[in-house]
Amino acid sequence: MNEALTRLEAADFINRSFKPLPRTYGDALVEAALADPRIVALCADLVPPTETDRFRDELPERFHNVGIAEANMIGMAGGMARSGEIPFCHSFCAFVTKRVLDQITMQAAYPNLPVKIVGFLPGVATLLGVSHQAIEDVAILRAVPNMAIFEPSGPEYHAAMVKMALDWEGPVYLRMKRPEKTPAAFTAKELRIGKGVIRCQGSDLTIIAAGLCVAEALKAGMELAGDGISARIVDMASLKPIDSNLILSCAAATGAIVTAENHNVIGGLGSAVAEILADEGVGIPFRRVGVRDRFCEGGTTPYLMRKFGLDAPAIADAAREVMQKKSG
Amino acid sequence: MRAKHNLAELEAVATRLRLHVVNMVAPSGQGYVQQGLGAADIFTSLYFFEVRMNPADPAWPERDRVFLTTAHNTAIFYAALAERGFFPVADLKTYVTDGSRLEINSSERMGKFVEATCGSLGQGLSVAIGCAMAAKRRNRASRFFVIMGDGEMQEGQIWEAAMLAGAEGLDNLCLIVDYNFVQSEGPMNLVMSLEPLMDKMESFGFACQEVDGNDIGALLAAYDTARATAGKPSFIKANTLMGKGVGCLEGLMFHQLRFPPAVADAARTELEAQL
Repeated sequence: MNEALTRLEAADFINRSFKPLPRTYGDALVEAALADPRIVALCADLVPPTETDRFRDELPERFHNVGIAEANMIGMAGGMARSGEIPFCHSFCAFVTKRVLDQITMQAAYPNLPVKIVGFLPGVATLLGVSHQAIEDVAILRAVPNMAIFEPSGPEYHAAMVKMALDWEGPVYLRMKRPEKTPAAFTAKELRIGKGVIRCQGSDLTIIAAGLCVAEALKAGMELAGDGISARIVDMASLKPIDSNLILSCAAATGAIVTAENHNVIGGLGSAVAEILADEGVGIPFRRVGVRDRFCEGGTTPYLMRKFGLDAPAIADAAREVMQKKSG
Repeated sequence: MRAKHNLAELEAVATRLRLHVVNMVAPSGQGYVQQGLGAADIFTSLYFFEVRMNPADPAWPERDRVFLTTAHNTAIFYAALAERGFFPVADLKTYVTDGSRLEINSSERMGKFVEATCGSLGQGLSVAIGCAMAAKRRNRASRFFVIMGDGEMQEGQIWEAAMLAGAEGLDNLCLIVDYNFVQSEGPMNLVMSLEPLMDKMESFGFACQEVDGNDIGALLAAYDTARATAGKPSFIKANTLMGKGVGCLEGLMFHQLRFPPAVADAARTELEAQL
C-alpha cells in the first residue's frame, strides 16, 4: 500500500473533524439489545451516521443493512415485529419518515407494532441541504395514530430515548442528532413518556422547547434574566404524547408561552402546544419560534440556526414580544 | 450529422475538471473527491460534446437535459457547469461554505441548469421519464440523460420507473449508471448486489451497453448507439474507477475519504502534469 494511501481513512460525512465521535445512542441500543434478545437493528446504508456500527460488529446476526431501500426496510420491520421482534430502523430523519409514510402507517402504526424508527439529521441540522433536511417530519408523524415521538435535547438524553422507545408498546419515532463531541459531565433529569421536564424555573413566561432548541432556550433564558425577565424553560422531549398538564400549569403560572423547535412552525411542537391551549380556552400571549414555513439550505448548524431564526437571540426576541403583549 | 469530436481536447477538459474537484474539496475536506474524479469523463463527454444546451439560455426549451440523481457528486458537476459557462469559474471557490448556493447536494435554487433536486436517492429517473414523455407529446427532439449512482439502484422507485420506461419504449431516454461499485457502507456486493445488472435492465426493456466510463471515446460511441436506437430506452453501464487520474487515490473504495492537504497537493501536481 502506498504511503499517501495509508493516511487516508474512511470517515463519515457528518463528522466535520474526522475524529471518532461518541456513540451515545448506539451504545445504549447495544446495551438494550444485549439485555433483550428481541431487539434487532435495520439500517438503510448509513451505519456510522446512525451510530449502528457497534451493533453491526457485536450483534451481526441481529443486524441488517438493507441497502439504500427505506420502504423495504419499514415493511421488513413490520414483518419482524409481527414475529415477536423489536426492530429499530435507521436512516436520516428525512428518509425514514417522509419517504416511507405509507409503509409506516400501514405496516407499523395501524397494526400498532413495536417498530422503532430512528432518524438522524433533525430539522435543518445538516450541510446536506433541502433533500436531507426534515422540517416537517414531526408534523407528519404526529398525525399518525398510535405513533409516539421523542426528541432528545442532547446526547445526555440519548440512552433515555432507547428506554422510552422500548417503554412505548407501539411504533415510535426518535429524532436524533449525532453528538459532535463527548458531552460534558451532566446530571440528566429523568425523562418519561408524556412528560416534559422543567429545566429552569421562572415566573414571567415559559419557553417550551425541544431538541436543539432546548440549549438555545436556556441561553435565551440567561439573556432574558439580564433584562430582568424570569423565563421558565421546559424541555418537551416527549412530543407525542405531549404533557398537556404541564403546558396548562405553565400557562396558568407564567401567563405567556413561547415555543421553540428545529422544525417548521406548522404542525410541530408549537402547533401541539397551541392546540392544547385552544382546547382549554386559554388565551395568553403566545409565539412560535421555528422555521417560518420555508425551505432552507445546506450549511453548518450554527449558521443555519441563526439564519432561519432558531437560535437564542431569536427565542429571546420572541420572549420579549410576548412580555410586551402581556404587559400591554 | 455531428462534427467529429477532438479526443485530446476533451481529455484536457476532463483533466481541468479533475483539478477543480481537487481544489474545491481540499479547503474543507467536504465533498466527494473520489466520485468526482471517477465521473469526470462522463461529465466531460456529456457537457462538452453530446448534450445540446445553451449556457446563455439555460431554460432553452429545446435543450437536452441532464439529471444528476447522485446529487452529492457536486464538485465535478459544478466544475463542469462553470467551465461550460453556466456560472463564473470563480464561484467554485465558495463550494460548501455557509451561504453559498454551491451546496454539497445540488439544488435547483442554483438555476435552470439543475434540472431537478435529487439528493433524496431514487427520484430523478422518474422525473426524467416525465420530461421525456412530455417531450414526445410535444414532438420535441430533446434527449434526456440521467447520471445515476449504482447504490441508488437499490431504491424500489428506480425499478418502477425502469419498468415504465421500457414499457413505453422511451428512446429519448439514456440512463447512465456511474458504476464505481461503492456505496456508503462499502463495496456493493457486500451490501446488496445489483448483479446481473445488464440482464435485469435488458429484461425491463432497455437497450443495454457496458463501457469503460473513463474512456471518453467509448462513452461518445455509446451515446451515438443510444441515439440511433429506436423504440427502446438506453442503459449505459459506465464502469468508473474511483479517484481516476490521481495515482494515490485510484481504486480507493470509500464513499467518504479524508483529504489531507499533503494528498491534495500531490493530486494537484499530478493533474497539472497531465495538462
